[in-house]
Amino acid sequence: MRAAVVYMDYAATTPVDPRVAEQMMQCLTADGCFANPSSTGHAPGNAARARVEKARAQVAALIGAEPQAIVWTSGATESNNLALLGVARAQRDRGRHLVTARTEHKAVLDPCKQLEKEGFEVTYLKPGADGIVRPEIVAGALRKDTLLVSLMHANNEIGILQDIGAVGRLCRERGVLLHVDAAQSAGKVRVDVKEQCVDLMSLTAHKVYGPKGVGALYVRRQPRPLMQPLIFGGGQEGGLRSGTLPTHQIVGMGAAYEIAARDWAAEAERLTALRRRLWAGLEPLGDVLLNGHPEERVAGLLNVSFTGVEGESLLYSLPQLAVSTGSACTSASQEASYVLRALGRSDQLAQSSLRFSLGRFSTEAEVDFAVAAVTEAVRRLRGLAPAPAGH
Amino acid sequence: MQALQYSPLVERYFGNPVGAGRWPAGEGRVAAGEAGSEALGTRVRFELRSDGGVVTEARFQAFGCPHTIAAASWLADHLPGRSLESPMPVPILELARLLEVPTEKMGRLLVVEDALLAAVARARR
Repeated sequence: MRAAVVYMDYAATTPVDPRVAEQMMQCLTADGCFANPSSTGHAPGNAARARVEKARAQVAALIGAEPQAIVWTSGATESNNLALLGVARAQRDRGRHLVTARTEHKAVLDPCKQLEKEGFEVTYLKPGADGIVRPEIVAGALRKDTLLVSLMHANNEIGILQDIGAVGRLCRERGVLLHVDAAQSAGKVRVDVKEQCVDLMSLTAHKVYGPKGVGALYVRRQPRPLMQPLIFGGGQEGGLRSGTLPTHQIVGMGAAYEIAARDWAAEAERLTALRRRLWAGLEPLGDVLLNGHPEERVAGLLNVSFTGVEGESLLYSLPQLAVSTGSACTSASQEASYVLRALGRSDQLAQSSLRFSLGRFSTEAEVDFAVAAVTEAVRRLRGLAPAPAGH
Repeated sequence: MQALQYSPLVERYFGNPVGAGRWPAGEGRVAAGEAGSEALGTRVRFELRSDGGVVTEARFQAFGCPHTIAAASWLADHLPGRSLESPMPVPILELARLLEVPTEKMGRLLVVEDALLAAVARARR
């Protein structure tokens, strides 16, 4: 039987895989690995430490890194902050310039704004209409005093993939660090930090069926970029991120990444087929626009603008679907998605867009249900609207 | 993003709008008026039929948020019987209160009112 609401918001977060939850449960209570992993003077502490280090290896394996290069954090937001603020503040004598894109997540843009207040300069690159930031655009923005480029791998709103490898090689040649926010790509597409010449990579657990509240920052070794911590205290994680390690969260992230490493390719193939089915179902409505490059994208994410309907009414017409919207809903300003605006969409089109993100538990039947529901809602709202001015 | 929450009256008029649509061209004398634009997120059109200075039937079309659609529909439902000299069944602020429209959305209700008053002006001619 279908659930009351069809969940198509996997890019926002995912449910914890039951296999992951089971391993997490082993690290909470008195009969499990509850001890402090830093208490290595006794057996329970060592047992917890072993679980943490196993998870570190699991996370590292997914991105082609050494386990020692993984620093635990509370999630991708903290990882982004640590990467950007940590590098810039520690290396401010070497340069005061950073490069990023207008379509980055707020967790990158806001630390950049903070750095501007601290005297840094930031170049915000405009992507093409397909959302891709061409490597030559990045090359043109690099300066002698550029410390770091920060570019997300998969965009959270439109799902397009940047050519991280090309940008990475370019940055490596020019002696500039590359930070990649891989919150939406790790466990969904191939990631290899060495091959792609990535120096810092932000990761999170909850986008790949792990728990919320845990993430990691990959920090390249040999040479390791000079960084300042954001959080001071017990000196955990090589002094880069103090605080007692949450064993159950970390074990959950490790388990989730191990499953993703094994299953992502087959899963991507299945989700690509579902996404194409969704688009094939919506396109006949007419006056629908796919946002972002049609093929260079993560498998399960589709962002569509519907002309002739107002975004808030569209979302309100779909109570049986859990999807995201490009509108700010009930805000007075009707502030539209800055990502879609950066791609050149009008406020109105950005506002009447829906992000469908499919995942491990999505089915063909759910896709067909979504197509039917959206088709009915769009036709009804277009039927209520006056003919566009000039018609 | 704020949660989508609407009053029962908005739910009713958005879910089952009264007076939606327009009359086919040539079906009697109709006065039409509109206001707003899609680019600004709200566009409303009213059509009125009247007899002896009194509205007999009203229809609306709306591109806009649920509050806008509900407000236009509520007016179309309550306009018959109103005189063209005093067409608003209730002042627009009172309608906003009835529909529990958030203060920041008052501008959209003014577009609804403007569209209706434009249609009324045509009907008076």
